[in-house]
Amino acid sequence: MSKVIGLIVNPVAGMGGSVGLKGTDGRMYERALALGADPVTPQRTQQLLAHISRQDEIGWLVAPGRMGGDYVADASISFTVVGEIGKTTSAEDTRRVAQEMVDRGADLLVFVGGDGTARDICDAVGTGVPVVGVPAGVKVFSAAFALSARAAADMVDAFVCGVEVTEEEVLDIDEEAFRDDRLASKLYGYLRVPEVRTFLQPGKAASNVGKSATETKQAIAEQIVEEMDPGTLYLLGPGTTAKAITDRLGLPKTLLGVDAVLAGKLVGEDVNEKGILDLLERCRQRKIVVTPIGGNGFIFGRGSKQFTPDVIRQVGRENIIVVGTPDKVSGLDCLRVDTGDLALDEALSGYLEVTIGYRDAMVMEVRCR
Amino acid sequence: MNIVKLDMNEMPYTPPLPVIEAAQRGLVDLNRYADACHLQQLLELVAGYAGVPEHNIVLSPGSDLLLREVIHAFSWDRQVLTVSPSFLPTVQIADRFAHKRLRLRLSPPDFRLDPDLLLRALKPSTLVIIDNPNNPTGQILLDCDLVASLAKRQETLIVVDEAYFEFSGVTCAPLVTDNPNLCVVRTLDKAFGLAGARVGYAVAGEHFVAALSTPLAYLPQPSLRAAMEALRNPDYMRGYVRQIAEERAWLVKALRASGATVYPSHANFLLVKAQLPDMARRLRELNVWVSDMATQLPAGYIRVSVGTPEENRIFMTRYKQLTDEAHYEEDER
Repeated sequence: MSKVIGLIVNPVAGMGGSVGLKGTDGRMYERALALGADPVTPQRTQQLLAHISRQDEIGWLVAPGRMGGDYVADASISFTVVGEIGKTTSAEDTRRVAQEMVDRGADLLVFVGGDGTARDICDAVGTGVPVVGVPAGVKVFSAAFALSARAAADMVDAFVCGVEVTEEEVLDIDEEAFRDDRLASKLYGYLRVPEVRTFLQPGKAASNVGKSATETKQAIAEQIVEEMDPGTLYLLGPGTTAKAITDRLGLPKTLLGVDAVLAGKLVGEDVNEKGILDLLERCRQRKIVVTPIGGNGFIFGRGSKQFTPDVIRQVGRENIIVVGTPDKVSGLDCLRVDTGDLALDEALSGYLEVTIGYRDAMVMEVRCR
Repeated sequence: MNIVKLDMNEMPYTPPLPVIEAAQRGLVDLNRYADACHLQQLLELVAGYAGVPEHNIVLSPGSDLLLREVIHAFSWDRQVLTVSPSFLPTVQIADRFAHKRLRLRLSPPDFRLDPDLLLRALKPSTLVIIDNPNNPTGQILLDCDLVASLAKRQETLIVVDEAYFEFSGVTCAPLVTDNPNLCVVRTLDKAFGLAGARVGYAVAGEHFVAALSTPLAYLPQPSLRAAMEALRNPDYMRGYVRQIAEERAWLVKALRASGATVYPSHANFLLVKAQLPDMARRLRELNVWVSDMATQLPAGYIRVSVGTPEENRIFMTRYKQLTDEAHYEEDER
């Protein structure tokens, strides 16, 4: 059965890199052009298309001109151009064309760009249609991206054959901070991507592959729920692993927010700092459940701003439960904290146990920058 | 094009002629199980080589099988503690069979194991399995003092995987005579260049001897004869180890010059943080096989076995070719 796949290219992604600009957000694109930067996305897009082996089974929906159409003409593939764009392209074009492709029945969206492009796609499709991200930006930190154009091609092929999809993080990198060599990334949202482990050694790592990300998250949830104490307030941070816990309890979860659970019931939905402090007033026994951000390992200070220094101090280091899938945790050198309160960051440093499965944990070092 | 195989930490040199001839003599008796006298002789040779009494030695067709047996025997009601990253088969078997799992993460830049953390992590009933030097980081994680203090806890079982002992020169094998809860696992696969023969042994404390000693471990005839000959004249192995150390130093220098992050190693391999996240795959496309560590470490970490001078130079040429291309293609990353 053939698949309808959308292709959207951010033509300016990655241009800042060669001229040392670390990104083309906002007006930086004009500066990149003035400095003589060459576009990098055409080559990436061609690499992607050249490595997809199941072209016969794909009907492409392609964004116009520099956002896609220009690169597929000589790739001998069947395609339909979708949408219209002006002379210069913007984030709005990405969002609009993505939405149009979804409306036209796209089974998968392939986008070429960086973290900014991923955020635009995230705005447009959320966790609806699965996506494959081809890295071509200056900043490509989001776990939602494939490792390379070729790996992305493998993911497209796998999708055509039929594989499970899993939610992966999209990060919001503060470009100004990045230019100052500070990595200030926050969790922005989630995209659904085909679950493919491309970089395994043949044979050797086989037993690791047996479990899907969903099953692993369920195993983690099982462990946490088994140890839950009915008299303790659980503050569940953002993320799909925390969501697996509420799924297990039959409760809803705010994917990007903090929810509070007490005695198997939801007592706070998408609570802010004040809401959390109110709850802490009422419950003397409390625990925070957080998951590290993929790639950089932050457990506090990114993506969970509701866990302010005041909240973390009140709950106490010994009541922090860290959860994460083995895949995500293996990709981290260590855990990190950046709460904005240096003394607290120091106090949080040391070792913490991360629950990575049922009766399975990894002890990791917590570092502050 | 020939494949340059630097992914399994094998010795790139074939064993000396007398060892091969001994294996060939074993082929003549292929209709028979190994002779008990020969097995006894190998036991004596191994005991002499390891410097412990014979009753502390258990032979096995491969040290990974010993590790597997240890896990089968002791993990069903215990917490199995390993480091991460570690020898993958150990990790996988422990994941499948252990009652409970705990991994201590080794972090860059030095990938060291905090002794206090290790001691604190011991629950009343723990089976500790640590590779020393660690595979893939090449670091020495344990010294005899630390192992001795671990072994003082009678209820803890300690297994030290010394597959690369000949390269590091660090061993805690002599401690087994006083510590029934300690077991050191070794192999002739690596430094002796006998990976294809699969001969491993445990230098085992009493608790382990009792669990691991099925009557007499039968080894394949050619493997048995090759191992006996290798241990009668082990000087060739020492020569190989010296050559590997020299080549390892060359590789470290060359990799660093090309911009890679290379970690110091006490084994016949190097852990490298490559500039490309899919370096292992790209090298494979150029017929150079290295081990991708992506299941246990962030993308881009590869483990490169030290090969012959020629192999190492082919590897470096391809490695540089790929990083140069990437600088051109992917200069924004």
